[in-house]
Amino acid sequence: MTESALQRDLPTTDPTWAERNHAALRTLRLYVRTLFRNASAVLGLGLVLLFLAIAAVGPWIIPYPEDAAGAVHMDRKLQPPSAEHWFGTDEVGNDVFSRVVLGTRLTLQIALIVTGVAILIGVPLGMIAGYVGGAVQEVIMRVTDIFLGVPGLILAIAIVGALGPGIANAMLALSLVWWPGYVRLVQAKTLSLKNEIYVDAARSMGAGPMRIVFVHLLPNCTSPIVVKASMDMGMAILGAASLGFLGLGAQPPEPEWGAMISIARNYLPDWWWYSFFPGLAIFITVMGFNLLGDGLRDILDPQHRE
Amino acid sequence: MLNFALRRMAWMAVMLVGLLAITFSISHIAPGDPAALAAGPDATREMVERIRFEHGLDRPLPVQFALYLGNILQGNWGTSINTRHAVWDDLVLFFPATFELVVFSILIAVGIGIPLGVLAAVRQNTWLDHSIRLVTVGGVALPMFWLGLMLQLALALHFGWFPLGGRMDMMTEPVAPITHLLLVDTLLHGEFAIFVECLHHIVLPAAALSIPALASIIRVNRAEMLETLNQDYVVNAMAQGLSLFRIVAIYALRNAMLPTMAMIGLRFGWMLGGTVLVETVFDWPGIGLYAVESAINSDFEPIMGSTIVLGFFFMLTNLFIDIVYALLDPRVREQI
Amino acid sequence: MTLTRSLVLGLGALAVVAGTMITDAEAFERRGDQKILVVASRQKVPILDPSIKYDASIRTMQQALYDGLLKYTGTPPEYVPWLAERWDVSDDGLTYTFHLVKNAKFHNGDPVTAEAVRWSYARTLELGQGPAWMLNAVLKAENIKAIDDHTVSMTLDRAYAPFLSFVPWWYIMNPAQVMANEVDGDMGQKWLIENEAGSGPFRLKRIEHGNLLELERVQDYWRGFKGPLGGVIYRLIRESSAQRAALQKGEADIVTGLTPDEFEAVSKTPGMVTSTAPALTAFGLKFNTKAEYTSDINLRKAIAWAYDYDAFVKIFNGRARLQTSPFTDDIKGKITVPGMPHKDLAKAKEFLAKSQWPDGGIEIEYVYVQGFEVERQMGLVLIDALKPLNISVSMIPLTWANMVARGSTQESSPQLMAIFATPVSTDPDAVASQYHKSSWGRYYGTHYYDNKEVHDLIEKARYLSNWEERRPIYEEIQMRLVEDQPEIFGMMRERMIVFRDWVKGFEYSPVRMTSELDLYPLYIE
Repeated sequence: MTESALQRDLPTTDPTWAERNHAALRTLRLYVRTLFRNASAVLGLGLVLLFLAIAAVGPWIIPYPEDAAGAVHMDRKLQPPSAEHWFGTDEVGNDVFSRVVLGTRLTLQIALIVTGVAILIGVPLGMIAGYVGGAVQEVIMRVTDIFLGVPGLILAIAIVGALGPGIANAMLALSLVWWPGYVRLVQAKTLSLKNEIYVDAARSMGAGPMRIVFVHLLPNCTSPIVVKASMDMGMAILGAASLGFLGLGAQPPEPEWGAMISIARNYLPDWWWYSFFPGLAIFITVMGFNLLGDGLRDILDPQHRE
Repeated sequence: MLNFALRRMAWMAVMLVGLLAITFSISHIAPGDPAALAAGPDATREMVERIRFEHGLDRPLPVQFALYLGNILQGNWGTSINTRHAVWDDLVLFFPATFELVVFSILIAVGIGIPLGVLAAVRQNTWLDHSIRLVTVGGVALPMFWLGLMLQLALALHFGWFPLGGRMDMMTEPVAPITHLLLVDTLLHGEFAIFVECLHHIVLPAAALSIPALASIIRVNRAEMLETLNQDYVVNAMAQGLSLFRIVAIYALRNAMLPTMAMIGLRFGWMLGGTVLVETVFDWPGIGLYAVESAINSDFEPIMGSTIVLGFFFMLTNLFIDIVYALLDPRVREQI
Repeated sequence: MTLTRSLVLGLGALAVVAGTMITDAEAFERRGDQKILVVASRQKVPILDPSIKYDASIRTMQQALYDGLLKYTGTPPEYVPWLAERWDVSDDGLTYTFHLVKNAKFHNGDPVTAEAVRWSYARTLELGQGPAWMLNAVLKAENIKAIDDHTVSMTLDRAYAPFLSFVPWWYIMNPAQVMANEVDGDMGQKWLIENEAGSGPFRLKRIEHGNLLELERVQDYWRGFKGPLGGVIYRLIRESSAQRAALQKGEADIVTGLTPDEFEAVSKTPGMVTSTAPALTAFGLKFNTKAEYTSDINLRKAIAWAYDYDAFVKIFNGRARLQTSPFTDDIKGKITVPGMPHKDLAKAKEFLAKSQWPDGGIEIEYVYVQGFEVERQMGLVLIDALKPLNISVSMIPLTWANMVARGSTQESSPQLMAIFATPVSTDPDAVASQYHKSSWGRYYGTHYYDNKEVHDLIEKARYLSNWEERRPIYEEIQMRLVEDQPEIFGMMRERMIVFRDWVKGFEYSPVRMTSELDLYPLYIE
């Protein structure tokens, strides 16, 4: 784990690029090899890349772009899946396939924002708690414990209930319940790192706390953060879809998967495709992020490496 | 040990105050005037002012928080704007349904999860292991509400094997409540037909609620079992001809129990969150459904009440698990 | 492997539980030898008190538990004698004297007296909620007199032609029973939330919160019954698809509030009877004429001419008719107003050009009832229709209670609100009064429409008694309303009620709200 950090702290003279980065390259090669030995991680990576690709090119590949923003074609409503409409049409004649594809963008956006805000809140707090210690640590960790002591979705519903339904409020609520996990993670890591020899060395060489935190501690926390973030992307997607389903998240006609299902459930069982495909999209995406997260943990976490 | 339990309980009291601080703050971030919210949409200006005075909403925040704590302790949890019921009464009414569903689901998850985890470990890398792995990978990624809907679609609407929702048939006269848990009460009264009927109603919601937890439990259990089974002493024991069954029961399972317990504790919180979704799908008259309907109505005090009850319940479970953990593993007692 | 075996056994046991329970209950429910009618509705009944609140579901219950002096029946709707077997009106049109039937009894056995009538009216007027608005402008509590045990008189402040058309919605409670349960001088408000003190055809048997209400028929009801029935279960089923499944399995006998698509599907099933009579109800999208943007008449007209009216009909799978006047078809004095907007984009753009926002670029709010599928679809139609005008729409679903709250002040009332309004009678004043200032802030008056001339016309016509004098005024009102466009005048939908063919006696009246039922005449053969 500290391999790369050690390299950086003990520089040699005038190496070539390849030599300078020899260790990093070797690690990278090891990572890639480990990853590709792990079939489920490859599957996860594939699904996530597919998801990202669809999110990137979505608006240009969908057959009915106008349906995404909520068009109305009453004459073709509730048609079963066919060659023209792969996933069928919904109650006002929109192409479900187009809306599911466009939903990837919204979903990605939600996942990034929720996880990002959680990291931005959680990591500094964890770092401060671990590094400063004492009463500060006590307070931060106790508050974190309290937040962890309430089921997340319930707290998110309470927040949305107070702020009012809507996608922005749903994202805010999810971010507010997501950060404590990062505090725990980073605090534990910081605690174990801060007495490592190289940190002591840096300190004795006069490095200020900011430098120690940003140069020495933070880079070594990235691996577990990346693993957790990958898992959390999936969980954030589930959380946002759940709020959407309850009618507290995204509102029509936004093509959010959970919100689509919340409408579509009114059309079960005869028009099953309307709720089936958005749900399948959630399932596959979340599974992709989970598998990737698992795979990343195997690679980045040496204790798990065989 | 007693010392540990007492310290742990004291900490739980602190957590509870923290939880109330959270719900209190949420009511203060809400846009709009809390007095007007509490008074409801038809209220006149005088009614709003009276409520502001009565609830102390014109006093400084710390005083308000103290008043709030006092009210909660006295069972004064406010009133629903929508139904004009006391929130406390509603929560007492709806909690048993949620409790029954969650406990039943966790029992399913544990009861099926542990054997499957063991099975997967013992039969490592066989088709059985692989298919169980498929369940664990998929299970955690399934959106609970969608799983519930699909179960409803297939098993209730299409095949008609299970009822669509609710706790029992509407024509059944409820038995006199003893514990308020229908599955228990019907047995205590010896009403086996109603017991089966309630069981029949709980199967689908419990399945939707327990599958993600089931997946995690299998996973942890399998990993821990494997670790033990690969230990030298186990390999030796096996070489000496001890039956696989005894090894699993005596060594491996016991070692795997602690991490599995931790996972159960963690998943329990998820399940409490999940009840909100599952109860909505299956019209299960519990706190989750109550919380969602209140949130959609912007009916404030019921939402906060539900949050407190579910949060408290989760904390209590964690307390219980920690104490059991400490009983099993002396090292834990040094912590906290 | 023992583990595998026990697993298989366990799963097998589950399957047995599932298997033994396959019941295809293709019949009505019974309790003992009594047949029970099951109503499946999507709307909760949060409160039963007749003085406090009414909506479709609440009134279904109030109508079953309580009696009024008169009752609405039939198509076209008319009020018939009920607790009052006859009534007289004084020559000046001010004093109404009701003569009560002698055999009516409250559920606890007390007779229904003139004093109970007086007290019930006074209570509703004093609490000032629910139906109080219908009469509080013309009737004071002190002017209601119990003349003897079976005669009650009410003296109005001034002549008011529609007075009797409101009387059926005022229910009579048993004062002795209510006041015995009074807490802190609340006139029994707390108690009446989920208890009843009525004389109606049913008494309340049990309430399972968030799930069902069970009513028991009062077998010796003073008015008698047409056919046999033991009671009614009013069951809350939150999803349209679940309602339909319950109906098909025989777990529900009568269902309201299906989505049009569900309704189409279920009406083709054998054994189902549908009621699709037209209703007095008008659906419109009310503008707030005082809000930003929509206070501009040209913008309102632009929106009205851009809207896709055909979609109204298509959403209901053809079970709706477009309005040709602000008044719905069965309202007395309704004319076909020339120049009612239809979809005409050129015209819409013309109006937009005359508005303060000739290029659009604005966003308006559309508020509708959370979970009300057709209103949500109309919002989608609105978004689609306004795209060419470069006007965007933000759709805001609210629960009915919160929607009413938003509409209650001019400042918070949204630019557009989806409203089904059912006039309380066929008298044109019942519709015209929605555009009178006194309606401002009520759910049908969220337009804050302010035209002095129209206001005066409404006042004038209301207090005239000669129809030939009133008619031209109402024609004028209809035309002026179309001109001022305080709302997008929409359509009249058919009622979509489905019941099993063993349910008999179903009676319909267009004056009932969209999912309101009259339980009294129903029985099971």
